[in-house]
Amino acid sequence: MFGKLMMCGAALLLMVAEARAETIEEKVQVCTGCHGENGKPVDKTIPTIWGQQAGYLYIQLRDFKRGDRKSEIMQPIAAQFERDDMLAIAEYFSQKPWPDLGQPRAPKDVAAKALSASASVGCPACHLDRFQGDGTVPRLAGMGRDYLAKTIADFRTRARGNNPGMSDLMIATSPDDLAALVDYLAGL
Amino acid sequence: MYVKGLAAFAAAVGVGLLSGAAIAQEVKQEKQSVLGNANVPPVTQEQLNAADKNAKDFLLTNGNYAQTRFYPGKQINRDNVKNLHVAWIFQTDVKESLETSPIVVDGVMYVTTSFSHVYALDAKTGQQLWHYAHKMGPITVYCCGPNNRGVQVLGDRVYLATLDSKLMALNAKTGEVVWTTNIADPELGYSETMAPTVVKDKVLIGTNGGEYGIRGFVRAYDAKTGKQLWNFNTIPENSVGVWATKDATGRDMHRNIQAEKDMLAKIGDPYAKLGGGVWQNPSVDLATNRIYFVVGNPSPDLDGSNRPGDNLYTNSLVSLDLDTGKYVCHFQYIAHDVWDLDAVSPTVLVNVKDKDGKTIPGVIHAGKTGHIYVHDRKDCSLIRFSEAMVPQENMWVLPTKEGARMLPGANGGVEWSPIATDPGQELAYAINLHQPMTYHVESSAYPNGKLWLGGAFKVIPSEKQSGNITAVNYNTGKIKWQVKTPEPMIGGILATAGGLVFTGEGNGKFAAYNSSSGKELWSFRAGAGVNAPPSSYMIGGKQYVVVGAGGNTQLDYKRGNNIIAFTLD
Repeated sequence: MFGKLMMCGAALLLMVAEARAETIEEKVQVCTGCHGENGKPVDKTIPTIWGQQAGYLYIQLRDFKRGDRKSEIMQPIAAQFERDDMLAIAEYFSQKPWPDLGQPRAPKDVAAKALSASASVGCPACHLDRFQGDGTVPRLAGMGRDYLAKTIADFRTRARGNNPGMSDLMIATSPDDLAALVDYLAGL
Repeated sequence: MYVKGLAAFAAAVGVGLLSGAAIAQEVKQEKQSVLGNANVPPVTQEQLNAADKNAKDFLLTNGNYAQTRFYPGKQINRDNVKNLHVAWIFQTDVKESLETSPIVVDGVMYVTTSFSHVYALDAKTGQQLWHYAHKMGPITVYCCGPNNRGVQVLGDRVYLATLDSKLMALNAKTGEVVWTTNIADPELGYSETMAPTVVKDKVLIGTNGGEYGIRGFVRAYDAKTGKQLWNFNTIPENSVGVWATKDATGRDMHRNIQAEKDMLAKIGDPYAKLGGGVWQNPSVDLATNRIYFVVGNPSPDLDGSNRPGDNLYTNSLVSLDLDTGKYVCHFQYIAHDVWDLDAVSPTVLVNVKDKDGKTIPGVIHAGKTGHIYVHDRKDCSLIRFSEAMVPQENMWVLPTKEGARMLPGANGGVEWSPIATDPGQELAYAINLHQPMTYHVESSAYPNGKLWLGGAFKVIPSEKQSGNITAVNYNTGKIKWQVKTPEPMIGGILATAGGLVFTGEGNGKFAAYNSSSGKELWSFRAGAGVNAPPSSYMIGGKQYVVVGAGGNTQLDYKRGNNIIAFTLD
């Protein structure tokens, strides 16, 4: 896994160093190295961006550029984009079909635990029915399991610092419940 | 105002059987506007002024400018309501939370859906006349569902406020866009879910965003051009107030005033990002040319450490001059709120008895605390507050890191749901929630328009939840009757001169009750949550009752896409 990540990172750095891309297809070429040619990320800790909500993708690019969200790989990439580029890239990926990662459905008891935890802090209030997301709120249904687990862990430690509201909600939820949520969401 | 969910376990597990790809396809499907021809005459200001006496139309979101939600027709009454049946069902293109208040203008009905769609329907048949499918910008930020609560018509225009914070005028006949004005930047947390109130060529609108560190406002825009006429910041530059230690009912709120004063000296007045959204329509007092509305919670919801002072005018009733937007008076229910038990249900203008028993112009509001507050319209002062409609326990325990249990939960005893009144009976009808929760506090800096709760509200899964329909005598503060419901209630209620109240539940039940006793007289199962305020109107000598059945995001009630009209044989 580590090897794969290193490769995807190295490919990106190479591309960042290249001359500025002009067309949207050229601009998004840099993304495929990690997020996948066919929408399936090359590593399980990398998020699915095909079919993701455009507003969410834009806000993440914006936050990488601002430094509000930390990532050694994403920050230099986002730094080269202006707002219009980010909006165009976000729109481009939002129009792609969401890939099926083939993750197993959560067993009934795990799903029940996840839904109870979700209801307790009100996840569907923002992520909506079926965890499809909307606007600046991401789709979680069918997101990579490892990415979900890592993101939730990072929210809890505030290592992911660009949404303190999410950190508060994750901190208020027990690790047990969150583990069930990860399995449930990945399997949707 | 923020949101909590309820388990919709069976529904959600059922959803789990669908493939990810199928869901994606459904969600990404684009809906196009369909222009049409609604044969509707222009609505005059005189018609709007007299809406309270008009049983033919339902011209405003809450029935009339006083927002009584009292429908003056009585063809459908206590004797015959048992014969009520479906006249038609219209299915919208959007299957998501439905909070719309249908309005009816001379046989044409206007309804809205989540994601700011508008439909014009033939109110007799349910046939679609036109459909405006708003092309939403990519940036939307909202706490409590992609809701829209309705539109209003003045002249030949329909006024709409959208989730991406735009104000629009549509052609009432065709659905074409006449003008669009940007209200505020959604990237900073602003959004619109309320119906505009249009009066005297002014379009009045508030804003959502109290969970995102906005600075709230109420504004008037020119109905003809969309140009802003005045702006009232719901958070004044001096938001400190009087360091109130007790709430409107006299209970101690456990503020550490010295710590707040120290913080004030250190950071200054926190007005710029203090929240104060306005969720629902103002009432308009045509006699005095004043408007009355309530202001929502301070930002961040649960963490008061970085917002010293009373946080004016959050959690307050506020009155302004309609022509200028100038402040007239206010009354704050909870200073320096750290529970999100704010003020969201729309105000109602009725005559009330003052403390000496003299009848005076009053304004009433159903608070998230579970009390109905009765005010003197002249100076906003509090005359009385009702008995609590829901259990209250451990008020006002301060939120802790581990979570402190307090009732009501953060959705309150009454949410944004409008109340109804029956002035003849001196009764106000409210729908209630009982959701035991723990209140958790966490501290973080302003996150640039992101969700900023300052902690979490958690439903306690092991504790039973429920709801009520409550009739309160606003001249005595006493509860006259109360009907228990199996789930917390959200949506709205309508009272009629036929001696009835109509309201719906998250489980799909829509029912009529005797407005004097609460006795259930008729009910219907809609198949999806009935979580929207009902309306009533007449066509061809027949009275209809109409309501949206689309469920609710906030409480995660079963979604649907139905507008259902009922009538007698």
